[in-house]
Amino acid sequence: MAHIWPIGGGKGGSGKSFLASSMGRLLAKSGKKTLLIDLDLGAANLHTMVDVPYPEKCFSDFIARKVADLHDAVLPTPFPNLFLISGAHDSLDIANLPYEKKIKTLRAIAKLDYDYIVLDLGAGTAYNTLDFFLASRNGIFITTPEPTSIENVYRLMRAIYLRRIRHYFSANDFKALEKKVREHLGDDSFNKPENIVAVIRKEFPDKYALIRKDFSSFRFKLILNQLRKQDNTALGEQICKIIKKHLGIGVEFAGNIAYDEHVHDAICQRVCFLDRYPHTRAANDLRVLNRKMSNAFGEQLTLDYL
Amino acid sequence: MEKDFDQMNYYEILDIRPGATAVEIRSAYNAALQMYQPESLVSYSFFSREERKKILAQLEKAYSTLINEAQRIQYDHELNPRGIAGIIETDETAKKPVAIFDMNRQATNFAARKNHNAELKAKIAQSRIIADVIARQNIKGQDLKAIRNELGVTMEAIHQETKIRLDYLTYLEEDKIEKLPAAVFLKGFIRAYLKSLCIEPADDISTRYMNGLTPKN
Ligand SMILES: Nc1ncnc2c1ncn2[C@@H]1O[C@H](COP(=O)(O)OP(=O)(O)OP(=O)(O)O)[C@@H](O)[C@H]1O
Ligand SMILES: [Mg+2]
Repeated sequence: MAHIWPIGGGKGGSGKSFLASSMGRLLAKSGKKTLLIDLDLGAANLHTMVDVPYPEKCFSDFIARKVADLHDAVLPTPFPNLFLISGAHDSLDIANLPYEKKIKTLRAIAKLDYDYIVLDLGAGTAYNTLDFFLASRNGIFITTPEPTSIENVYRLMRAIYLRRIRHYFSANDFKALEKKVREHLGDDSFNKPENIVAVIRKEFPDKYALIRKDFSSFRFKLILNQLRKQDNTALGEQICKIIKKHLGIGVEFAGNIAYDEHVHDAICQRVCFLDRYPHTRAANDLRVLNRKMSNAFGEQLTLDYL
Repeated sequence: MEKDFDQMNYYEILDIRPGATAVEIRSAYNAALQMYQPESLVSYSFFSREERKKILAQLEKAYSTLINEAQRIQYDHELNPRGIAGIIETDETAKKPVAIFDMNRQATNFAARKNHNAELKAKIAQSRIIADVIARQNIKGQDLKAIRNELGVTMEAIHQETKIRLDYLTYLEEDKIEKLPAAVFLKGFIRAYLKSLCIEPADDISTRYMNGLTPKN
């Protein structure tokens, strides 16, 4: 089965698509058959980053049953071994993907025959985005060292945590839990999964044990993108420390990617940054990250809750 | 989450091992400040204003307590009446946050200490001098010193184990009580001293020691 890397982060150019295309390029170059899937429906632009300016087929063809098989929506790219399912032409927003279609998509992804599948998830915390992120235990968070971006990534992490916890309860039990949390901790406490988990720990110890076990098998990663010289290089580690201590989930800091003007230049020229500017700091960072992440996986697909 | 932040002990809050040195405590405190202070990018938006205030207050309390030797001894005792060694040996929860530090070192410490304690206990069981001192109603600094000498433990080793300053230990043994910090800490010192030598009942003996002090002290 393919290794699946979902990439999630905040809005406004944290670099999700840039990372997805770069990782895709590096994996393909190392001989791995790699598929990029642009799930940033409604704002898809991954095709542009891998030089497929006119995608002839796309994800919505599968949803609209214009193609029978997800595999039929796959496009080649100019790069050997690198393939794409584009999200262009999608009038559909990911948030509006109906439940059955989402399940169908996840099952179809699981059947695709690739070494690596990289999912560009777009910004936001729509349930569908969270479910795609949770489809693999190797979810990658990306943020820039700006408060706006960090705020977004924290929100995403909490939303993902909460979404996963939710699967352990029936609708009724979850309501009862919500009531308890509000009783214990006040009205606005329910947005914070750490509060909920604190109550689960007391009131449902066996569920708590299951949830802990579940989360300990995730291999979440964090990448800090667009680091400038004056930025704190330890920021990523510190964020992971906060997450561990206050949310109780393990996120491994995978590394920094330097800010580089050439990224903009390469995107404008619609050439691959890694090919055009291989000797920059940022290109080197990407290669190091790719090597590091290729050596560390959790379980690939978690369809158990579907 | 294994434990809520407000239930963490001071060592867990600062992410340090129970035996941490003053240098380690100070640098852990500075690192934590970098993460939690209001201007910090690291925790931006993560906490509400109230949560942050509470965390900073706890951090402050943790630091000011642990950095003060006398207060730390007192705190260690409240945390675990069996003394500093006890925290490492018995308290499961205290071990967890220590994980990011050198677990191996802790593990060897743990094994070595267990060995060391077993040896001490064997010696104590065979020593007439110690049995005699423990049975006494009135216990003084020179008695403590006699026990220590009988067991062949250096003052330096007790200092290492209890984190009580060397000069304080000297004053204790020489009965120069007036040079020591307030009496509330004194009892904790005595208890920690006895614990480090595996002398029991440490509580009772330290009480007898305190009772033996003249009122002006
Ligand atoms: N390491 C970098 N150095 C310099 N600029 C960068 C870097 N990474 C990304 N950028 C810039 O940020 C812009 C946004 O990147 P990207 O499109 O990958 O973000 P995104 O997270 O996919 O955004 P969206 O949520 O809009 O899809 C890029 O066009 C590029 O100019
Ligand atoms: Mg994008």
